[in-house]
Amino acid sequence: MPVTEKTGRIRHCLAASLLGGLVLGLCAVSLGTRAADAPAVSSAPGDATAAAAADASSPASSAPAGATAPGAADTRSLDEDTQALKKDVVDLNRDLFVLEEELLFPANTQVAIYVSMDVGEFFALDSITLKIDNKEVTNYLYTPREVDALLKGGVQRLYLGNLKVGNHELVAFFSGKGPDNRDYKRGASLKFEKSIGAKYLELKIEDRQRKMQPDFEIKDWE
Amino acid sequence: MKSFRGWKLAQRCIAAATLTILCLAASAQGFALLGQPAPDFALRSFSGINVRLSEDRGDVVVLTFWGSQCGVCRKQLDLLDHSFSTYRSAGLHMYGVSVDDDAAHARQFVAAHPLTFVMLEDPAKDVARLYQIDNLPTTVLIDRGGIVRHVYRDFGPRDEALYLSQLRELLNE
Repeated sequence: MPVTEKTGRIRHCLAASLLGGLVLGLCAVSLGTRAADAPAVSSAPGDATAAAAADASSPASSAPAGATAPGAADTRSLDEDTQALKKDVVDLNRDLFVLEEELLFPANTQVAIYVSMDVGEFFALDSITLKIDNKEVTNYLYTPREVDALLKGGVQRLYLGNLKVGNHELVAFFSGKGPDNRDYKRGASLKFEKSIGAKYLELKIEDRQRKMQPDFEIKDWE
Repeated sequence: MKSFRGWKLAQRCIAAATLTILCLAASAQGFALLGQPAPDFALRSFSGINVRLSEDRGDVVVLTFWGSQCGVCRKQLDLLDHSFSTYRSAGLHMYGVSVDDDAAHARQFVAAHPLTFVMLEDPAKDVARLYQIDNLPTTVLIDRGGIVRHVYRDFGPRDEALYLSQLRELLNE
């Protein structure tokens, strides 16, 4: 947990500094555009109101396209700069996320457990409880939206953790509504060997049409 | 002698003012989650549907923590229910989180007091702990960005006007 807090703080600091940079960048860009506009206004220092009136009337009267073009171009460039900065922030956030995962869950100890669901006529998923080596690691409640996403083919990463090299046992308890809308709870287990390198396991919920029952399987992705 | 008494009075006034300012500051900073992202959670409702807070991001959310043995909570729930029926079409979500030790008591209460908003059960008090609830009822207002904006402890009829104005403010954002 302290490692998580530390990396969280680092991420917060980096995000804060990046946001600060973004704001400063925007200020610099806006100041630059104002500075670029400034000579045009200051060229007629004697009569400011006349200049303002000319500015106000020019787009409507003589050449609207010509008069608005520089302003529009400036706005466009400002938008482009903002979008580029936003993209940089998103990219940096993604890199930080990957870095955090690599630090907290190194490849040689990493275990990731995914959930997938097919059809779902005989089972409405409510929750999954996971135990690794008889120790509860997660208990996840599913909302109707999440179940819909799984039924549409989505795959959810339910758990990400670390395990030592060696033999382990995974037990998953699935609860929900079974055939005839009755409360339904089933378990599935798998003994697996964790070697050097990441381990990926998949909890598959499928319908067995012949038996008119749901089927729960744990698949080991070698 | 007069100046001494005056000086003493001034000292007392300054002390009282300092104490008042400190109390006000303490009450404002009393809830550590104010201005912070609302902690996400998933809870089962009494109707059987599971609710996850993060799914309501983009809408204003009112969370109220209550107990079936709490007399003030009953009045407050009725009041909140009225505001929910008024503003639900404006994108308001409201959840009542029961922190009863015995879920059966909470179920009886919900059955006896039908309310229009969703009631969630938190018998393990995980969510109450997450929101640092130390008083019932406590009501938390979360804005469209998922930030805790306002908190009401000991919500009474006097707080109604303030609650409604702050709720309208969040809905208009």
